[in-house]
Amino acid sequence: MDKGKMESSGSYDRTTLTRREFIKGVGIGGGALVLLGQFGVHSVAWALAGDPALNMVLIDYAKCTGCRTCEAACSSRNRPVSLKGQELPGLGNPRYANIRVHSFNPDVDVPNVCAMCADTPCVKACPVEPDSKTGRRALYRDNVTHTIHNDSARCLGCRSCAKACAAQRTGVISPDPATGKPERMCTLCGGDPQCVKRCPFGALSYVEVRRDRKFYGLGPEKIAAELAKTWYGTADFGGLK
Amino acid sequence: MSGKPGYHGKILNIDLSTGKIETVPVPAEDFDKFVGGQGLGMKILWDRLKKPGVDPLSPENLLMFMPGPFSGLPVPSSSRTCVVTKSPITSPLKSDYTHPSTVTYSNMGGFFGPEVRFAGYDGIVITGKARVLSYVVIDDDKVEIREAAKFKGMRTDAFDRAFLAELGDRRFKTVYIGPAGENLVPYSSILHTAGRAAGRGGTGCVMGSKNLKAIAVRGTGQPTVAAHKAFLAALENARRALNGSAFAKSWAEQGTARAIVGNSNAGTEAVRNYREGTFTESDKIGGDAARRDVWVKDIACYCCPLACKKSGMTKGKHGGVVHDGPEYETGVMLGSNLMISDMPGLLKAITTIDDLGLDQISTGNVIGFLMEAYERGLINRSFLDGIDLKWGSVDATLAMIEKIAAKEGVGALAAEGVRALSWHIGKGSDKFAIQVKGLELAAHNIQANQPRGLSYVTASRGACHMSGDNIAMQNRRAMMDSTGMCFFPTFEPTLEEPMLALLSAITGRKFDKAEFEKVGERIFTLEKLFNYREGFRREDDRLPDRFFEDAFTVGPKKGAVLDREKFESMLTQYYQDRGWDPETTQPGQKKLKELGLDSI
Repeated sequence: MDKGKMESSGSYDRTTLTRREFIKGVGIGGGALVLLGQFGVHSVAWALAGDPALNMVLIDYAKCTGCRTCEAACSSRNRPVSLKGQELPGLGNPRYANIRVHSFNPDVDVPNVCAMCADTPCVKACPVEPDSKTGRRALYRDNVTHTIHNDSARCLGCRSCAKACAAQRTGVISPDPATGKPERMCTLCGGDPQCVKRCPFGALSYVEVRRDRKFYGLGPEKIAAELAKTWYGTADFGGLK
Repeated sequence: MSGKPGYHGKILNIDLSTGKIETVPVPAEDFDKFVGGQGLGMKILWDRLKKPGVDPLSPENLLMFMPGPFSGLPVPSSSRTCVVTKSPITSPLKSDYTHPSTVTYSNMGGFFGPEVRFAGYDGIVITGKARVLSYVVIDDDKVEIREAAKFKGMRTDAFDRAFLAELGDRRFKTVYIGPAGENLVPYSSILHTAGRAAGRGGTGCVMGSKNLKAIAVRGTGQPTVAAHKAFLAALENARRALNGSAFAKSWAEQGTARAIVGNSNAGTEAVRNYREGTFTESDKIGGDAARRDVWVKDIACYCCPLACKKSGMTKGKHGGVVHDGPEYETGVMLGSNLMISDMPGLLKAITTIDDLGLDQISTGNVIGFLMEAYERGLINRSFLDGIDLKWGSVDATLAMIEKIAAKEGVGALAAEGVRALSWHIGKGSDKFAIQVKGLELAAHNIQANQPRGLSYVTASRGACHMSGDNIAMQNRRAMMDSTGMCFFPTFEPTLEEPMLALLSAITGRKFDKAEFEKVGERIFTLEKLFNYREGFRREDDRLPDRFFEDAFTVGPKKGAVLDREKFESMLTQYYQDRGWDPETTQPGQKKLKELGLDSI
């Protein structure tokens, strides 16, 4: 393999379709079978449902250098501080970042961030009875921002959402160690994701969710395994068994 | 706690002999005067090693992992950890003590320093010696010493993976030694992320002497800053100075490897054990060749927009994963200096040295010395345990590397460094034993670069290429390595202002250019006081004869050689300008008073 020439994982995207084309494709044939294999029947339902377009942060793994500036930028925005009544960006403690870079040996860095799944396995896993007025469980998708929120007052801290996310998608949702309540759902920073804006290497972009993208919704270990094999020809990438 | 903004105000102290773990407050004055990193480490070493001549491999020695005030904040390129200890490799010509040696500091990038600050400390100080091989786990304020028997002898690449698997969370940041450190090779390194190292000056040997295989740290906190708004504004300016700049792109493109061809063309490269300054085959091991044939990824340290680390893979007999390299130092010390121009072979040597936990620079220097002694017939093949150590031989180089790390046969002697080797071999070999105070020179050759010669002889840890070619540079860099920020981005001049503004905003203490250099001078001078107390004098600030006798025979600087008189008069001027006695190099009272070191 000519690894030196591999410029970016953008090249993984060559065979993908726009969402519209994708929906069409699913309608007429073979693509659906592949998707059924990877994501199950819900994905087809989602793809055909014609939901409003969702946006997400997309990673170009070949461009990512593992510097974690995205973590600091995310935390700074989403964990503001209050100084004399004025809200200011925080100091960027990565503990509070919703995006998180997973680093492996040999060097593969996989920023992990909410995939903005249209079919929300996390929300579906929430056992809290939907509110009679809003229809919301404790975990819900906001109608305006389309991001996932947790109603801390109603949340049981049962970790079901995190388990569903880990089993079916990226595993980005992390329960707070003490309360079990979910953390790290991407806020998209009100439509201007700071991780995208601050990445010094242009590795992040803000794009439409498309489930047929290479690596969409996969956990970091799975992505790292494939990249380590592609880039370094090794199956041992320091993943945790 | 000192309650000083920008700091936690405390050091984590771990005594491996008693198992006692405690946090120790740092006086606010020490932060003001010594900042952090190299400076604060030096101050702690001075305070706690009260008498000279302490055996660096005894439990008494301190091994410190020191981040700086930038660490743990998203300041560009603030990834560094300075490892400070008393050197196991240097010694003066004469001393009243059994174990005199210099201070040593070794600065590495990555993620460790920031994580130390996330965990709530301004530094980690290790003392004592564990009964059995051990490792330390720091998880915020939970700290544990655990047995590491099952990791004994494990090479660093495998250990990096196995250790994180044992810890069960890849967010732990780890430092560790390889077999060389466990075997107490004086120039052993401390590794981090399998491809980053605190390489120089024997820090890994000191860690090995403490029976400490590794440290893991993970934290959830963060330091504070004195002026939040000013910090944010300066951060914005610092990012603007670097992000997307041609300067940053150039670093991402080739890192330091660009200089492998550049310095060869300039006649300032270590070639053939420093006999020459130009390597005619440097293009085969340079940045262009590596970009074409080896590198897959540009890798950055914490919040760094430069990404100078390169990883990749090679194929064939010596093929495999390459964690980093060639860089300038590694590529030249194991390449040009040994006349090796086979890229996969060179990278195999570099990878093996990291895997065993040796210092790349000293190892390449030692092998270059042996190659020359062998060529000159001063040693024969049986001296080398049958290794046919010819210029350019990859296999012979790999065999020597293994022997050094294992201290096996000739390796036991080679492990002591070029100075000890030349003493053993005799026959005038000290002339081309390329070291100062016992520490080997790095990949910058000096027949055509006298100022770098000054850096080598006056640096506090022995022949250090990073110390600085003049007083101002030395002071600035001593300070730079005390902040937690990397030295590389500071080549960009527009970074200076925001960098000073950041330091002021974090610490609440006004840093301008003059104050920055002043603190650096204080740190550098305290190092000198330490070394002077151990017995280092002007006669120890001495280059090997080669640089005054062996003029280059090839390249653009053909004929270049240093002039001893000029060099000595440059040195005399240097001591005078420093306010030190040019005869003895003792810092004068006036200077000490000016720096607030007179009562120390």
